Amino acid sequence: MRPAAAAKGFRLAAVLSVAAAFHAPALAAGPARVMSLNVCTDQLAMLLAKPGQLISVSALADDPHLSFHKNLAGDLPRNRGLAEEVIAATPDLVVTGQFSLHNTTQVLRRLGYRVEEFTYVQSVISVPAEIRRMGALLGAGAKAAQLASGMETALAGVAPPQCARPVRALAYEQNGIALGTGTLMDSAMQAAGLVNIAAEQGFAGMTPFPLELLVKDAPDIVVLPDIMADAPSLADQIASHPALRALPASTLKIRVPAGSLACGGPFVVEAVKALAAARAGTLPCKGSAVQ
Amino acid sequence: MSRAALILLLGAAALLFFVLSLLTGPAGYGPAESLRALFSGGDGAAAIILREIRLPRALLGLAIGLALGAGGAALQGFLRNPLAEPGLIGVSASASLGAVAVFYSGLAGASIYVLPAGALFGAACSVIVLLAIAARSGSTLTLILAGVALSSLAGALTSLALNLSPNPFASYEIIFWLLGSLKDRSMTHVWIALPLIAAGLLLMFMSLRALDALTLGEEAAASLGVDLRLTRLLVVAGVALSVGAATAVAGAIGFVGLVVPHLVRPLTDRMPGSVFLPSALGGSALLLAADVASRIVIPSREINVGVLTALIGAPFFLWLVMRTRREAL
Repeated sequence: MRPAAAAKGFRLAAVLSVAAAFHAPALAAGPARVMSLNVCTDQLAMLLAKPGQLISVSALADDPHLSFHKNLAGDLPRNRGLAEEVIAATPDLVVTGQFSLHNTTQVLRRLGYRVEEFTYVQSVISVPAEIRRMGALLGAGAKAAQLASGMETALAGVAPPQCARPVRALAYEQNGIALGTGTLMDSAMQAAGLVNIAAEQGFAGMTPFPLELLVKDAPDIVVLPDIMADAPSLADQIASHPALRALPASTLKIRVPAGSLACGGPFVVEAVKALAAARAGTLPCKGSAVQ
Repeated sequence: MSRAALILLLGAAALLFFVLSLLTGPAGYGPAESLRALFSGGDGAAAIILREIRLPRALLGLAIGLALGAGGAALQGFLRNPLAEPGLIGVSASASLGAVAVFYSGLAGASIYVLPAGALFGAACSVIVLLAIAARSGSTLTLILAGVALSSLAGALTSLALNLSPNPFASYEIIFWLLGSLKDRSMTHVWIALPLIAAGLLLMFMSLRALDALTLGEEAAASLGVDLRLTRLLVVAGVALSVGAATAVAGAIGFVGLVVPHLVRPLTDRMPGSVFLPSALGGSALLLAADVASRIVIPSREINVGVLTALIGAPFFLWLVMRTRREAL
């Protein structure tokens, strides 16, 4: 890991260079001080920012359940998304989510700060564009293009094998909430060649799905949520309901890597790969050697 | 109506709603198919649904209804107060607080076996506080007002504890702990709650003769050989065990213990001993009926069963308060 002093030195150098030559080279290098207020923009920024460019990330940046790249957060300063924190840090650019902190965004814009909002990504195919946009904002266009095209290649590489019949899956979240059309999970299932039962039945977004119907619909794959063992809730209990344990052995119960579908980022590929791997192990696909 | 006939009638009603509860659900199996799946088993979807989802729910409705109906009857008899009820005087809310404090702190991991421990402790504390207040002031109103204060305090602390949990789902669970629900319970919950509820019912049952004697006043009861301290202990422990265990697995379901004893009392000789068993069975019938309704009122979305019992119970409570005032004047 790069020592903090070196990072500081780099930042100082960056600030000085911006101050010294405030035109073409500075624009190409991107803003010197960038602050991220949202766990999703945190991760894109941590992947793309040059050392020292990112001066603060949100307090959730290393949340094990929400942040896939929790290890990148290191000792970066954390913020709670408050306008006061932004003003004290004097960033050149603030990146944040569109919905989480809209009031903060409005206050900051009125005060003349440059705030770039990112929508909450709901589809795998729109992720590369988000990566490229963050790259352009941070002056890391080449790195972003590389990440984005790498992701597109990886997605194209998840070629669904031929199976005896369509493989049906259901993502069953805390409190018996299923993820229907218009969710990142739904598009990840599509990318992995799965039929989402909730979407098939016309459910959109996050929708209550009775446990009885899950048992009756007999999915090939049940995607269970990542539960918080250290902070219990009754909502998490659904994943250990005896009715799920009683499902036939042919029903695969899987989890996608923690945080891989909490935000749009290159890591959604990991979720797609996990879903595709599960698909290959289901009854309708086993034994069919056709690639 | 004779006592045996009343008990038979209410028992039949409870059984009817128990079966209806088994037959109600979004999976939509016919009655014959459902019962066949329940009894013959197998590993088909219908068997899993009936045995792992609907049976625990119906059993809990039955047991918790018994606990709440009996708890209300015992408290009304012991305190000689028509408004006494586990929900109204804050026993259920305190049980919720106890369960929440133990479970969400994560001290015992994510185990649901800690829920009853916390709930029983909360319920016992509140019953002891209330009996102490009732012992100092015989007024109906004092006890109810103390109960309201205790309910509000326990409710606020429950909300606070849930808001402090780092788990984002915890704060949504305020609704469960304050209103109660039987959704997606499992046989694990049944095994947790049933023995404790049975023990509580037994203790309350053992106090019934003393409660009958107490209708003559404490001095007359003492001269009849009633041990007041033992009676108090039986009622406290009985209510704390049964209501605590019920709340631990289903949240605070209100008004069942208030409404049912009043509905069955006119059909008996009004002695606590005669009201007890019909109240327990009536509590089961009412809770099971409300739980069936909670699943079919809005077909696509379940509502909390506590909302339905409050819709029935709150107007009834108002009417009861008006009548009590009129009689007092």
